[in-house]
Amino acid sequence: MLVTWKYRPRNTFIQRLDPRTRLIFMLCIIFAFTIPEIWDYRIILPLFALSLTLYLMARIEWKDVRRAWIYIFILVFFIVGLNGLLSGRGGPSSVTNLPSPVVFEVPIKIPFTEIGWDVPVTVSKIWFALNQMTRMITMAILAIPIPYTMDPNIYGTAFKRMGASDKVSFTMDLAFRFLPTFARDFTITMDAQRARGYEMEKLKGGIPTRIRKLAPLIIPVVMQSTVTGEEVIDAMDLRAFGTRQRTWVKDNLKYAPRDYLILGIGVAAFVSCCVLKWVFGIGEYFVPDFFMSLFV
Amino acid sequence: MPNQPLIIENLTFKYRTRPELALENISLKVNPGELLLIAGSSGCGKTTLARCINGLIPRSYRGERSGQVLLHGREVADMQISEIAQVVGTLLQDPERQIVASNVFNEIAFGPENLGLPRAEIINRVDQAISRLNLEYLRERETFNLSGGEKQKVALAGVLTMNPSILMLDEPLASLDPASAHEALEVFRSLADEGKTVILVEHRVEDAIDARPDRLLYMEDGKIKYLGPIRDLPPEIDHTKVKLPAPWVVQRVKALDKVPAATPKPEAGERGEPLVVFENVDFRYDEEYPLVLQNVNLKIYPGDLIAVLGPNGAGKSTLVKHAIGLLKPTRGRVLVEGEDTRKMSVAQIARTLGYVFQSPTHMLYAPTVREELEFGPKNLEFDPASIPQYVNESLLTVNLKGLDEYPPLGLSFGQQKRTTIAAVLAMRSKILIMDEPTAGQDFANYTRFMKALCDTSDNAQSILTANFAATIFITHDLDLAVTYANRVLLFGDKHIIADGKPQDVLKDDQLLRKYRVRPTSLLRLNLDLLPRTGRFLPAESLAAFA
Repeated sequence: MLVTWKYRPRNTFIQRLDPRTRLIFMLCIIFAFTIPEIWDYRIILPLFALSLTLYLMARIEWKDVRRAWIYIFILVFFIVGLNGLLSGRGGPSSVTNLPSPVVFEVPIKIPFTEIGWDVPVTVSKIWFALNQMTRMITMAILAIPIPYTMDPNIYGTAFKRMGASDKVSFTMDLAFRFLPTFARDFTITMDAQRARGYEMEKLKGGIPTRIRKLAPLIIPVVMQSTVTGEEVIDAMDLRAFGTRQRTWVKDNLKYAPRDYLILGIGVAAFVSCCVLKWVFGIGEYFVPDFFMSLFV
Repeated sequence: MPNQPLIIENLTFKYRTRPELALENISLKVNPGELLLIAGSSGCGKTTLARCINGLIPRSYRGERSGQVLLHGREVADMQISEIAQVVGTLLQDPERQIVASNVFNEIAFGPENLGLPRAEIINRVDQAISRLNLEYLRERETFNLSGGEKQKVALAGVLTMNPSILMLDEPLASLDPASAHEALEVFRSLADEGKTVILVEHRVEDAIDARPDRLLYMEDGKIKYLGPIRDLPPEIDHTKVKLPAPWVVQRVKALDKVPAATPKPEAGERGEPLVVFENVDFRYDEEYPLVLQNVNLKIYPGDLIAVLGPNGAGKSTLVKHAIGLLKPTRGRVLVEGEDTRKMSVAQIARTLGYVFQSPTHMLYAPTVREELEFGPKNLEFDPASIPQYVNESLLTVNLKGLDEYPPLGLSFGQQKRTTIAAVLAMRSKILIMDEPTAGQDFANYTRFMKALCDTSDNAQSILTANFAATIFITHDLDLAVTYANRVLLFGDKHIIADGKPQDVLKDDQLLRKYRVRPTSLLRLNLDLLPRTGRFLPAESLAAFA
């Protein structure tokens, strides 16, 4: 059985918004960054501030979202940030080629060999990593509150009213609930194996051995997910899902003036980014002088 | 539409992945308004028969099928799944497998929504189903927060809104407390009385009798062994394979003249130092949530065979998870062999307490049953030379010998469950804790392993006598408590309501009903005969006194 996120009704501006508004606004910001490829901090920071304002207006308690943020921070800092810092990849190729002062070098060596080299970390790469992390966090700020502040009963309806098919809409409904279900199964499996003397913190051996020793956790969780998926399919088949055009009883979604306001801001942000980049040439990657002066 | 809702003629089926026939030459006609009970042990073919009727065979489960299954005169294999769904409403064994929506209203409306009915018609059907099953108070609740009984009722409401003429109920009582099970059976009976055809698949015949079935279909090895009125059940239907009412068992045992000797259970009580102590334990999952445990005080002694009874969602599993250290008290403390569980890891506590979780799929991972059983002893760093012996004894106890090289995830649910029990047995902990050990098990199998685990007679070669100092099992099956426990904990309202010998706790009919425990025929017979027996006994042993 699929479970839902820790949703709680709150009397906030964000929760009074139509769910479609929030999804469309989030897409506008993501597209504003990605389609015209905005790397200019003068555009990124205002969008970050706008997203942060909406996030704070949702009034979500830290303890509710702490785990999600830890995961996002790990992803952003250690994967996106370090990747950008060391390789300069994941963004405009010009970053790696840009002549820029070297701040320090990171020695990298292939284990068990003498092969290695020094990776120069330049001012340009540091600025790029900061930019990239800010972009990612801006998008995360909009995405993280959704499961905690959007009624799970209208996930499917929201997508349906955005024009998706019945199957896509209900798939999105199920997909939203998959992650908390996965987390619940992982916790139960962890408890079950700990009760058999399994201690993950005491795993010994090299990386392949350690990965192999994670099997008691990974296999039951994957199996449970598979079984849950099959059960959901059977349960839906037994009640004739997908055989004809579906009626969505709870589809009383209606845009209010506040929705038009937020949608207007979102669309304006997207259009502005496109115009700035493609008409005025503003939005390209560059290292601002104040940042360069910190190192040179 | 022809009036005969269901006709099965010469139905034979073999799963693609299995060599043997799952069904062989089944013929059957079921009438409108009839309640048919299908019984038999695990693997007898009753679930396969249900799948043939609701169309999951041949759509979801592939194999070779011959013969006919006609729903109102139309062959199931020729019908669209949406057509079948409007004729046959299926209620699965575990409501968790059936519920797809996140909210009760959406769940009940799910079927009619899929049929594309007008909104007003859907709301009308949902209202009727809610009213029919008295679910008004659940209407806007989240489905995953419901108790087992509530989930089952919501799943049934979801089936009823499809307005099927046939209801297929596949072991619908498995996850319900006794009072909820009785309520569900009353609903099934009234649906039959209103003209629906109700097919109830259930191996616990005694419990299903409450629904007053019109006929019983008894299956063995994929074949019909008996089809007729339930009162005329022929003596060759083995009372050790399906659970029959205690007076029937007594009659059969007497007729067979094979009354087993009554074996004594060890007396519960204070014998030496307690193994586990709960001191004024309070617990809540989060600050904003209400207490689940409140001022719980409990001592578990060597020799205890404890049955934990109580309603769905009362906190019984939460209680025992404190003993293993998976949960820590919000207030108070839990001591395991004198040490506070807050200062111990779960792995350390596992040397003293072995805990069998409810769901096997959350636990099984190894490529073979043998390796699965070796996992715990290896984690606890047992002497490698002794592990094979522990594994073999455990396999024998749960009747899995011969399957040691099978992949556990390829076994049936009942076999998987027994594998998890064996995996904990192999750890040789001092205390064995089982959470609903009989769920998904047929009567014959769970009787066998409960007897092996709890029977303390010299001849029984009991695992308990040999290894476990105490055994605790959480159960909805009151007869398990009557038959195997020497101490009963009745749990409800966040704390222990009653704690004592089975004959003391279970004699209070009003108290039991208050906490949704329904007296069974075995309990009633034991209470009647208690002056002569002096203790509670299994049905077979009562034959010597009745």
